[in-house]
Amino acid sequence: MKLKESKFFSSSSYTFKPSYIIEGMIMKTLFAITVSFLLFIFGFSFSFADDYGDAYVSGSLSDATILIPFLADDSASGGICGLVYNGLTKVDKDLKVVGDLAKSWEVSDDKLRIIFKLRENVIWQDGVEFTAEDVKFTFETILNPDNAVPYIASFQDIENIRVIDKHTIEFVYKKPYAPALLKLGMGIIPKHLFKGINIRDSKYARAPVGTGPYILDVWKTDQHMILNSYKDYFDGEPYISKYVERIIPDQAVQFLELITGGIDYMSLSPYQYKYRTETIKFNQRFNKYKYLAHQYTYIGYNLKDPMFSDKRVRQALSYAIDKEAIIEGVLMGLGEECSGPFIKNTYAYNDDVKKYPYDPDKARELLAEAGWEDTDADGILDKNGQPFSFKLITNQGNKQREDVATITQRNWQDIGIKVEVQTIAFVTFLKEFVDKRNFQALILGWTMPIDPDCYNVWHSETIKEGGLNFIGYNNPEVDKLIEAARGTYDISERAKCYQKIHALIAEEQPYTFLYFPYALPAVNKRFKGIVPAPAGISYDFINWHVPKAEQRYVF
Amino acid sequence: MSKKKDFRKKYAAVGLAVILVMFLIAVFANFIAPYDPEEINLAPGARLQAPSLKHLLGTDDLGRDVFSRMVYGARISLSVGFVAVGLSLIIGVTVGAIAGYFGGWVDILLMRIVEIIMCFPRIFLILMLIAFLGPNILIVMAVIGLTGWTGLARLVRAEFLSLKERDYVHAARALGAGDRRIIFRHILPNALSPVYVSAVLGVGGAILIESSLSFLGLGVQIPTPSWGNILTTGMHYIESAWWLMLFPGLAILITVLSYNLVGETLRDVLDPRLKGFNQK
Repeated sequence: MKLKESKFFSSSSYTFKPSYIIEGMIMKTLFAITVSFLLFIFGFSFSFADDYGDAYVSGSLSDATILIPFLADDSASGGICGLVYNGLTKVDKDLKVVGDLAKSWEVSDDKLRIIFKLRENVIWQDGVEFTAEDVKFTFETILNPDNAVPYIASFQDIENIRVIDKHTIEFVYKKPYAPALLKLGMGIIPKHLFKGINIRDSKYARAPVGTGPYILDVWKTDQHMILNSYKDYFDGEPYISKYVERIIPDQAVQFLELITGGIDYMSLSPYQYKYRTETIKFNQRFNKYKYLAHQYTYIGYNLKDPMFSDKRVRQALSYAIDKEAIIEGVLMGLGEECSGPFIKNTYAYNDDVKKYPYDPDKARELLAEAGWEDTDADGILDKNGQPFSFKLITNQGNKQREDVATITQRNWQDIGIKVEVQTIAFVTFLKEFVDKRNFQALILGWTMPIDPDCYNVWHSETIKEGGLNFIGYNNPEVDKLIEAARGTYDISERAKCYQKIHALIAEEQPYTFLYFPYALPAVNKRFKGIVPAPAGISYDFINWHVPKAEQRYVF
Repeated sequence: MSKKKDFRKKYAAVGLAVILVMFLIAVFANFIAPYDPEEINLAPGARLQAPSLKHLLGTDDLGRDVFSRMVYGARISLSVGFVAVGLSLIIGVTVGAIAGYFGGWVDILLMRIVEIIMCFPRIFLILMLIAFLGPNILIVMAVIGLTGWTGLARLVRAEFLSLKERDYVHAARALGAGDRRIIFRHILPNALSPVYVSAVLGVGGAILIESSLSFLGLGVQIPTPSWGNILTTGMHYIESAWWLMLFPGLAILITVLSYNLVGETLRDVLDPRLKGFNQK
């Protein structure tokens, strides 16, 4: 089916020419009859009975790669998987864990057993009934090392999965694992389709069958994806009939498409948010939102490089960077200063840690203490005859990171450190430099999971190749705290651990933490029911709707 | 001499003037640029200023003066152009001379190598080499130079093939001159006219390639200004800051056009065989 833009406002009476009054009257009567008939059918059961229909066209910078929930490790794939699949649990608007495919659950007192009661009215998109066997199959597939699932570390403490009956399942853990409930929100795949086949190469990687509110219909690589609403979705049919994702790899082009009506949603750049969308005309047609993204941008130092092994040097590098200027210059002020690796305003985040305000004199002092002084008066600090000069790398095509590089290079130059900036294509950047630990300093960003467990990035166990602790941070105290925090369900206990970790990392500055950016989505005003919350705006997409009179696409 | 020819010469004179001006700008960049091209100014209102008397070509997204960046960018563009073409000249002339003069299996071997290199589209070859070696101004110069000599080698070889049979070459050999003396003192000076033309056109081409590479982020690295990477910045602000795209775009256009005009005219003047053809 093709999308067709309706030429008129949807009520057909607007289209009559005044001269054909009689015909018009007949049509009007017919129209009135139709409307009352429709009202008769739908009017009583749903509050937005007329609001089914229309399409939502979203602009995306990159295409999805694989639509298997536990193999999708890029945000575009993850987003589509979220529409097609459900997990046992999900997070609500306040980032609390609630049931999705699970109706309820019980955690044993020793925190080693979790028993889920599953929903009974769930039907896979191909018509087969969903049962506990599907859940067992999914997690056994994830735990099978042959499948090389990138998220396996989140499940490796599972000892046994037992199907109690068709709608009851038990997970047994080797030791208490606090993020378990959240992690078990991973999308469930249908056993009857995947049994005995190679998951990664199967056709379902591009033609998924899930339990979710949307069914993938068309996927043209690097062009667009069309998903149709799933009429028998267990939580009720979604209002919007079609979800369309168009791949437009450039924000400036996306913005032109947004203005001309080619797309209904995009994520604005700070510049666009601040300077291109302040017009009355824009605000009549679009709603824009602003909330802190669960991401931070940082400069990481390779701790194996002797240049960065001294804590004072790293602290000096942090003092020398004007973070406020970066937030102002790169994000147009649309970001907040970051001091550690946790989501701001959550229990894990410690506001009371060592901060590094812009202070070049303090930086020079610390460097002098560490033995770096300009002995040959060439403007560059040196120690034992070696100048303080290194290479700062980042991935190419990310304008914000390039601008961060430009500003920090200037800041460091001011205190006598010579830095060469190099931007490298993303794939090469990860494969040749990050994975092989072949760098001195780099600019990157992390997206933080909702659970503060930070084992993957900060535990010394993940220093090894393939792990995400590529800077080589090794602090036995932090290791112990990470293990203690994931081993207890007690929030106040966990909070203590994470706040301590935050303080330790802030003191040692293995990263210079720069900023949390704001997420800046803009959505066409005809979409109603959007409620911004700590979880963002799209957590209850199935409740978005367009009033009949404003619907734009007819099918 | 026809009227058309006169027009061509006038264009060439304009082109030559532009080249000279650009050359002077590049050499005296420190004196011409009113600001430090890498000086960031994030004060309110300092960013993305439209052209004014204070900032002749406006400012960019980090508040840097575009005119100063353009002036220093000229230095980068021209030095890439000259160094790359210089490298091409050295390799191309040497290979062409050796192949043409000695002939036989040396000629066959060298020309097959030239043909193999020519099989690859140049821009892809350059992208591939830069992906391996990493972007860096010196590598960019070297790569453009190393991929641009094949045409020159063929031209020089063709000249050598015909010149080495001339009487004066035979005379020199009869007088006991060695191969090196014959190649460099007797044949080469007479084989250079197509080389001049090709070199001038090559500079324009090299500037264009450098701009494309920098535009893609594979050439000159930030924060060093180059016409190509100023254009990239402009792309992000295309609907609001027209000066960020217009001026570097014009600079590239005018410079490359000038080299082409001069090169074409030089060809007419130096190559008598083409004269009749052009006057039609």
